Amino acid sequence: MQTLQYPNVQETLYREVLDNGLEVIVLPKEGFNKTYATFATKYGSVDNRFSVGNQAPVKVPDGIAHFLEHKMFEEPTGDIFAVFASQGASANAFTSFDRTVYLFSATEQIQANLETLINFVQNPYFTDANVEKEKGIIEQEINMYRDNPDWRVYFGLIDALYHEHPVHIDIAGTVESIRQIDKETLYRCYETFYHPSNMLLFVVGGVKADEVMELVRANQSAKSFEPQGAIERYFEKEPSAVKIARKVSELPVSLPKCMMGFKEKQAGLTGAALLRQEVTTKLMLDALIGPSSKLFQQLYENDLISDSFGHEYNSSTGYAFSVIGGDTPDPDELINQIRAAVEQKLTGGIEPEAFERSKRKKIGGYLRMLNSPEAIAGEFTRYRFRESDMFDVLAFYESCTLEDVNARLREHFDFNQLAVSIVKQPEK
Amino acid sequence: MTPFERGRLQRIRLHVMPTKRFKTFAISLFAGLPLDEATVTPVALIPFVLRRGTANTPETIAFREKLDDLYGAGFGFDVYKRGDSQIVQFRMDVINDRFVSSDTPLLAASLQFLGDVLTDPLIENNGFRQKYVDAEKTTLRKRLEAIVNDKIRYAAERCLEEMCADEPYRLHPLGRLDQIGAIAPAALHEHYEQWLENAALDLYVVGDTSLEEVSRLVTEAFKLKEGTPSPYTKPDVNHPVKEVKNVIERMEVSQGKLNMGLRTGIGYDDEAYPASLMYNGILGGYPHSKLFLNVREKESLAYYAASRLDGHKGICTIQSGIEFANYDRAVAIIKEQLESIKQGNLSELELSQTKAMISNHLRELQDSAYEMIAYDFNSVLTGKQRSAQQLLEQVQAVTAADIVKVAERVQLDTIYFLRDRKEA
Repeated sequence: MQTLQYPNVQETLYREVLDNGLEVIVLPKEGFNKTYATFATKYGSVDNRFSVGNQAPVKVPDGIAHFLEHKMFEEPTGDIFAVFASQGASANAFTSFDRTVYLFSATEQIQANLETLINFVQNPYFTDANVEKEKGIIEQEINMYRDNPDWRVYFGLIDALYHEHPVHIDIAGTVESIRQIDKETLYRCYETFYHPSNMLLFVVGGVKADEVMELVRANQSAKSFEPQGAIERYFEKEPSAVKIARKVSELPVSLPKCMMGFKEKQAGLTGAALLRQEVTTKLMLDALIGPSSKLFQQLYENDLISDSFGHEYNSSTGYAFSVIGGDTPDPDELINQIRAAVEQKLTGGIEPEAFERSKRKKIGGYLRMLNSPEAIAGEFTRYRFRESDMFDVLAFYESCTLEDVNARLREHFDFNQLAVSIVKQPEK
Repeated sequence: MTPFERGRLQRIRLHVMPTKRFKTFAISLFAGLPLDEATVTPVALIPFVLRRGTANTPETIAFREKLDDLYGAGFGFDVYKRGDSQIVQFRMDVINDRFVSSDTPLLAASLQFLGDVLTDPLIENNGFRQKYVDAEKTTLRKRLEAIVNDKIRYAAERCLEEMCADEPYRLHPLGRLDQIGAIAPAALHEHYEQWLENAALDLYVVGDTSLEEVSRLVTEAFKLKEGTPSPYTKPDVNHPVKEVKNVIERMEVSQGKLNMGLRTGIGYDDEAYPASLMYNGILGGYPHSKLFLNVREKESLAYYAASRLDGHKGICTIQSGIEFANYDRAVAIIKEQLESIKQGNLSELELSQTKAMISNHLRELQDSAYEMIAYDFNSVLTGKQRSAQQLLEQVQAVTAADIVKVAERVQLDTIYFLRDRKEA
């Protein structure tokens, strides 16, 4: 067991990679009642074409990673939620673009709950009948999201940005695509991506590291896993240009929702370089358009934005884009004013004071995040699957310079790389 | 759990929990008044205007820059209802100085900031700044109009509005659209003065500090008028149901939103409160509950089917997203679940699972500064002293018979359905 100390944030991590390839991380939090554990596979909605070792590549239906997540909760003995409930744990799971995460939080019976978490995720049980039954439930989940304008404007934007990369596919798939899912395909995906060597167990809270490690070691050594060849994921070449410059959807909304997205011409960064780019871009966006920027105040005073206006940056090895937007009475005027302000900054650069303030704010926000076991486990896993370390973030913020931020600004804001997604009231 | 240390400064009750467990100081200020049609809208507008600037820092940009300089101190507010009260809550969250090299003590600077916001606002021509009032009226209007965007939330609010049509609880905490236009800067300032004079005020601080330090900092930072703290008024939880209201509303939606409102008649200070928590948990609070198992797992009718308890108002609400054609079936299955609890159809397993889940929640909240504050505030709100530990023990002692007694008091009041425009 490795001990990793992070004195600048007063945290200590314990890490071990087991013989079967499973990576286990424990972060004890003294004085905490709660233990929060996540068991994650590096498998999300984008992993829809793959092969293992010498096998031929397969293409699987859209939404299958999410479908698999739903089905994992069913065991031959019944629903696993009931077992967690009996042990006082609240359990859940989610699927994102690049990972599927199973989790629980509990204050008692931590050992039993950890065993339950590991065992149910390592014990698939799919039948023709239980797969069919799930389709009705997921159809209602898809319909729920269709009625949600925030979700529609966000995924509309990603769909406008990307031609080929499966990030533009809905995580839950479509009503049509999930109808093609059967138990054989589910097992195929399961066996590929739920191998311990593709997974990470993270335990944070009121626990002792050696006790957790001992439990996991014993649990895993009692099971046998065939060694698995490397997983190969296949992606079509993504053109650098956006797919659709402007995408409009109609839903009943009080004001139009408008999101602008800038697609990086080149994705492909990994590890620390990817993390550094993410940190620099987030700092740049905050200084440019965060709530204390001049641009934000200008847009607010011109009644073009409301408190819902925000920005984010989403990046991985295969895709990277920013998102800027919110509710606005006039999407075109909002885009014009943002464009004018950004073009001015492309020559003039970010003000040094604005940069320093955003930097302090980001450092403060990062430290505040460390109060939350859920956020630590989530962020750590997300970064780890991209071969980077969440605890490097603080140092990257501290070492980021005004020159870095201005260089990032000039590189990122290319208006040929802009796509816009709008959700508006249907025309009468 | 370390208890809160209590103090009082003029009209403010102070609640301080000294602890080194967090990397931050968590600060919350609650200001509550009875929900009232005459004041609900201006009171909702007050915090929006206060967050634009203070006498010391009149310009909004400078005001926000101050927060960034405090290592991005979190600052926000929320307006909501608890029982029959409208509560404005300001929150601040600032990191402990020991993690950064800061020239100003961050707790002192944060309390100064909050004190300025609350007690030393920007005043021009005997009122708030016209420009800020106008802009924030627009913001408030947009917020109220935006409720319809999220259909799940919209349906939940409409159900309560129909259910409580003749009670103050029908009011949205952000007020009424038709009252916003008439609010003038001077009149709003008068409302603000009244609000500070009458509201129940509670300030909470959790972090590496003491009651003495907080008292000193608040004395320096807040311009307090003389007076004594106001209590909260007890909400009306007894509202007999004469007949079940059925409401159908139509809109362009892909999925029907079914909401049902129940009256429990049991408030936070009621002896039966722990049993009402159990009732809600068994009905629909969790993935092992009757609604989830029967509406979702057995019948595949829905992705979500759950219930929620508003323990201060004695209202339990059920929500589910279903296909339009499945309305009758879903209502019938939900009614069967209500009846089944009344008949005492409660297994040992359901009881022990639900107790374990509620107990877990009560233990977990002690890991979050804001959750501890929210829990403690329940006793300020109701006058009922009951620690999380005591509630935990009371929940453990609840029997099947106690839950049946709750079920016998529960009355279905309203069934609300949001559906598409096509006539069946």
